[in-house]
Amino acid sequence: MQSLAAVNINKYFYDPQEFHVLKEVSFEVKRGEFISVVGKSGSGKSTLLYLLSTLDTAYTGSIAINGTTVTGLTQNQLATFRNEHIGFVFQFHYLLPEFTVLDNVMLPALKLNKRPKEEIREKALDLLTLLDVRGHEHKKASMISGGQQQRVAIARALINDPAIIMGDEPTGNLDSKNTKTVFNIFRQLARERNQTIIAVTHDDEFAANCDRIIEMVDGRIIAQHP
Amino acid sequence: MNRTNNKISWVHLTSKLRQLFVAVLSVVFGISMYIFMNSFMNGVNNAQTDITFTSMAHIKVYNDLNGESPILLPPPLSSDTIQFVSNAREISYTEGIRNADEIKNILLSNKNIVAVTEQVNQNVFFRNGVAKLNGTLSGIDVTNEPRLFGTNDYMVEGDLTELDKRPDAIVLGSGLAVRLSAYTGDNITLTTSDGVTKIFRITGIIETGTGSIDKSRAMISIQSARQLLSKNKSYATEVLANVRDYNDARKIADEVKGDIKYKTEPWQEGNAQLESANTLRDIIAVAVSLTILIVAGFGIYNIMNMTVNEKMKEIAILKAMGFDGKDIIQIFLTQSIIIGLIGGFTGLITGFIISAIVDRIPFHIASFTTLPISYIPLDYVMALVFGLIITFIAGYLPAKKASEVDPVAILRG
Ligand SMILES: Nc1ncnc2c1ncn2[C@@H]1O[C@H](COP(=O)(O)OP(=O)(O)OP(=O)(O)O)[C@@H](O)[C@H]1O
Ligand SMILES: [Mg+2]
Repeated sequence: MQSLAAVNINKYFYDPQEFHVLKEVSFEVKRGEFISVVGKSGSGKSTLLYLLSTLDTAYTGSIAINGTTVTGLTQNQLATFRNEHIGFVFQFHYLLPEFTVLDNVMLPALKLNKRPKEEIREKALDLLTLLDVRGHEHKKASMISGGQQQRVAIARALINDPAIIMGDEPTGNLDSKNTKTVFNIFRQLARERNQTIIAVTHDDEFAANCDRIIEMVDGRIIAQHP
Repeated sequence: MNRTNNKISWVHLTSKLRQLFVAVLSVVFGISMYIFMNSFMNGVNNAQTDITFTSMAHIKVYNDLNGESPILLPPPLSSDTIQFVSNAREISYTEGIRNADEIKNILLSNKNIVAVTEQVNQNVFFRNGVAKLNGTLSGIDVTNEPRLFGTNDYMVEGDLTELDKRPDAIVLGSGLAVRLSAYTGDNITLTTSDGVTKIFRITGIIETGTGSIDKSRAMISIQSARQLLSKNKSYATEVLANVRDYNDARKIADEVKGDIKYKTEPWQEGNAQLESANTLRDIIAVAVSLTILIVAGFGIYNIMNMTVNEKMKEIAILKAMGFDGKDIIQIFLTQSIIIGLIGGFTGLITGFIISAIVDRIPFHIASFTTLPISYIPLDYVMALVFGLIITFIAGYLPAKKASEVDPVAILRG
């Protein structure tokens, strides 16, 4: 069963000069697959992930997620789609600094509004426990360390049980122990809950243990292995 | 969905209390000034009108003598006759109103006319010792006169009803009394234009606030005036009427005009300056207060714009998490509306308090002892309505801008 399909994606930046950043990118991801995207700095990994997560719509080609062609949907339709189907962990762990850790994790679920608030709260606390940031849930998000923030961001990405989770170096700020924890969580979500994971990483060990590695050079996919 | 957005608005508002305070303050200032300006201007207008109508009736009926001269001789029949009439003058005419009772009845039968009185006015000489002054003597109907002019309120000494009790009683305008160096209890001599002289006793002093009138007018009872001028019982120089709302005087004068063979004149005729002064003051009040409100609107706009700029990253994150443009508008617009509501209601109270304080500042003119303030509920409603409209606009623009933030551009870092 197909979770994501990208067909012949091309993207240009025009500022400061025309720059062909993604070149004829096509690939497919099966449901429950755990994929890592690797490549040198500047090879276009983040750019690709913004397209796949539907945040960036300025490209040619087409993207389908969970059988829905997202290319061509309006911004508001995409927002609703993201809320329900995509969990995103940014390269820089962006939280809402004025909200508590718990509120940050709960917000996407409150926005989706499909479960009662109590249940959302329970689930958020479970995720925080899972990611080892329990005990900080009532602190402001700006009051915890970088590594903790990154794990809170991961918890937030998981709260709506999205069909597909995308991470731009989700373990970039973590020590090896926490990296292992996050990796194991992703592994488990993919295997047991059939959630698709696409993670950009510079961590060779992380990549090596994935189901598949997509390697990018200068905006092209040059290899997929195994 | 709404509750989540409101929660976000609330967190934004409460995490920047100082900004919230400044924004609320600018609304409070705008609204309270709007209320104060309008209350004060209305107060001044009403005071002005009150003073004006202490000596002027809404409608005046009098015998207008400036008619065309009647034709004294029929024109010559044949063209070879030349006719000269030099130094033509009227030799018989009626002065004043012969049958004032009839006019009073016509006026009273109009249901918009609330009070009617008659006066006999005459230019006379006042003499007290060597002081000899020209002035107006008003014979007044002691019962009805106060119904039109609130005359009793302006008596600074003595009692108006004394005029009915003694045929030789006279009430002097305050300025006139000073010019004559006459005091209550003194006797003064009156000489009419026909040369009749009579001694009157001062029983009261009146001060209406209109200097020119206070300096030249004295009042006696209408019966004494008729006697003094040897006129019949129903004689009056003018019949005066007040209507329910003085703004309607023109319309009502037109209604009764047909039945009255004398000149029937609403107050606006010949007093256009009063009407236009009121209108001008209203325009100034509205212009100034709206300007203040708009400046307050800029205050909110500025603060919300700052908030949006500061929160670009948060907006991008919210959008990435699935909040759409409408949500973002709602989140930021809610903040300005809350600011508008808190500031608005505080402003209403503050405006009322400022007005109440100014209302107590001593200011002596005519029958006023403090600065005039009118408390008009409509001013308060309008202040709130304008205030909220302006807050809404001032909040909508930054909110719209926030909703158009491109999350990728921000998140790419
Ligand atoms: N807004 C932009 N305008 C113009 N060029 C851009 C813009 N954003 C990125 N680029 C360029 O596009 C290329 C790909 O950038 P991207 O951020 O996708 O790289 P990356 O593979 O994620 O790198 P890293 O591993 O350092 O995060 C880079 O050469 C970068 O300079
Ligand atoms: Mg990157």
